[in-house]
Amino acid sequence: MAKRYGIAIDTRLCCGCNSCVVACKMENNLPEGNFWNRALTEGGESIDTYAGTYGTGSKRYLTVSCQHCENPACTRVCPVSATYKDAETGVVHQDYDKCIGCRMCMAACPYTGVRQFNWEEPHYPLGISTGAAEVVPHQKHVVEKCTMCDHRLAVGEDPLCVATCPAYARFFGDLNDPSSEIARLIASRRYKQLLPERGTRPSVYYLV
Amino acid sequence: MTETTMGATGSPEALPALVPDAQKDLADKPKDAQQVFGRGFSLALVIAAVIAAAGLVLWGVQLTQGLVLSNMRNLTSWGFYITNFMFLVGLSAGGLIISSAPKVFGIKGFGGIAKIAIWTSVCATVLAIAFVVVDLGQPLRLWELFAYSNLSSPLMWDIIVLTVYLIVSVVYLWATLRTEAGKGSPLALRALSVIALIAAILVHSVTAWIFGLQIGHDLWYTALLAPWFVSSALVCGLALVLVVVMGLKKAGYLVLAQENIIKMVKLLGIFVMVDLYFFGCDLLTAGFPGAEGAAVVAMLTTGALAPFFWIELVSCAAVAIIAFVPSLRTNTLVVIASALAILAIFCKRVQLLVGGFQLPNIDLAGPATGPGLTDMGAATQAMGGAMVYFPSPLEFGLTLGVFGLGALMLLAGLRFLPLKPVDKD
Repeated sequence: MAKRYGIAIDTRLCCGCNSCVVACKMENNLPEGNFWNRALTEGGESIDTYAGTYGTGSKRYLTVSCQHCENPACTRVCPVSATYKDAETGVVHQDYDKCIGCRMCMAACPYTGVRQFNWEEPHYPLGISTGAAEVVPHQKHVVEKCTMCDHRLAVGEDPLCVATCPAYARFFGDLNDPSSEIARLIASRRYKQLLPERGTRPSVYYLV
Repeated sequence: MTETTMGATGSPEALPALVPDAQKDLADKPKDAQQVFGRGFSLALVIAAVIAAAGLVLWGVQLTQGLVLSNMRNLTSWGFYITNFMFLVGLSAGGLIISSAPKVFGIKGFGGIAKIAIWTSVCATVLAIAFVVVDLGQPLRLWELFAYSNLSSPLMWDIIVLTVYLIVSVVYLWATLRTEAGKGSPLALRALSVIALIAAILVHSVTAWIFGLQIGHDLWYTALLAPWFVSSALVCGLALVLVVVMGLKKAGYLVLAQENIIKMVKLLGIFVMVDLYFFGCDLLTAGFPGAEGAAVVAMLTTGALAPFFWIELVSCAAVAIIAFVPSLRTNTLVVIASALAILAIFCKRVQLLVGGFQLPNIDLAGPATGPGLTDMGAATQAMGGAMVYFPSPLEFGLTLGVFGLGALMLLAGLRFLPLKPVDKD
């Protein structure tokens, strides 16, 4: 049976520290302004604010990146198949060399902001490259997004957002393998998914 | 209203229509080429060429410095170019439909303006394709569309259909000219007109499906979108043909009986009513359950896109009044109605495009999210506006350049192609 890699995030453990956001940005040498993974504040008016009123408020976070959907809206609409689902792993890839920059995938993806376009020649906050040498170089005028750290998966490591989480709130594994940690968590815990009504069947689960 | 009452109740200009054709031709002959294509015409041609060339330079600037010069950002990943693309596909489909439909059904046409209508279609199609090309990040990779075609993509369907449509339009124009010269067979021309009509309806439906099949956007995801695009195309396509024909009539390029103009204006009124009917159906279906769609209705009627919504509605109402009140069908008002119809459909396109991005599905505070994803969204909201997107100067300039190319094509076609009506079709 083909694998279906997924990520589960325990929202009860996530404290919104943004470590996964920064780890992703560093590991993948993301250009200035790009965030493949973003820690969003649920309910509050701006980043890191409480939802609700004083005394009864709560603070919750949702880390959002490409959902690597089982039924992706993006792969279907790409006119040149520059974005495609890996049959072996279920990971949705983006081929920078093939992308014609039409941004049809961005219009099709229901998950606002997970696909990002390099609107100009990529430049980097530090002025030097960071992260893994295997990361495919970024290009101007193409769409990019979370790769599920496929360069790390290739050598048997977890995506860096999972490995780096100081609260151990993120779990990576094969959703199709019932004995995997992630499959057992999903079987035993209550969870939610983002925009299930759009029928994309995401591979990212939020344990609640 | 019947055809017989129309001529009598029309404006004073309707009178020549009652004069027998032979006499009318003697009385009201089109001017010869030297009179029509004077210095003013040459000047217009040169200005259009200069604007088109300036557009080319701006495209170069956009490609070298990046699309960051546009106001499109990750939240509003499409903008003015794709708005114009939708708009121009509409303009083109309308022109071809009104020139081919009479021939397909063997009914009387609109007084020999078929060739001009087809030429406006060809120009609009070229512009539509041009707008997709200037929107692309990597235009040099266009060849991949043919090498790696993903046939499940509505964008790929549109590229195929647009290409076929452009070829069919040109062949149809060529066949019309040949048939007029007595060389081609009328049957072949009629067969070709059937193909052209199908292509015109398809090209618009497929353009609608680029948006209408995206479940990610509440505003777009409706089965009504394809027929609605066709009706909008009929409105603005016919209106464009009317504006061009009235201008050419004024310039003395062609002579057109008032009854044909009135026929077209009445048809324009009907198309506008159909378009409004679809709009009403869509708003009701979206708003009635009081669920997610209610946010879409609120955005259009009272929210960020309300100016465009109301301009469309008021313009359409004005077009209908001019079209259906016989005493209002004067030449000036017909041109005004046509211009309003084009404006209304343009406003519709803006609502559809910006409205599609205006309501993010995931609207939570965080890095690079919400309206903050667009500099322009932040800027317009700081100024008290509400739209997440407004075009940048570069987008306006480049768009003007593409329209300059269109004007150049249209004028050059009138000058160098034999598009004048020769027979009574």
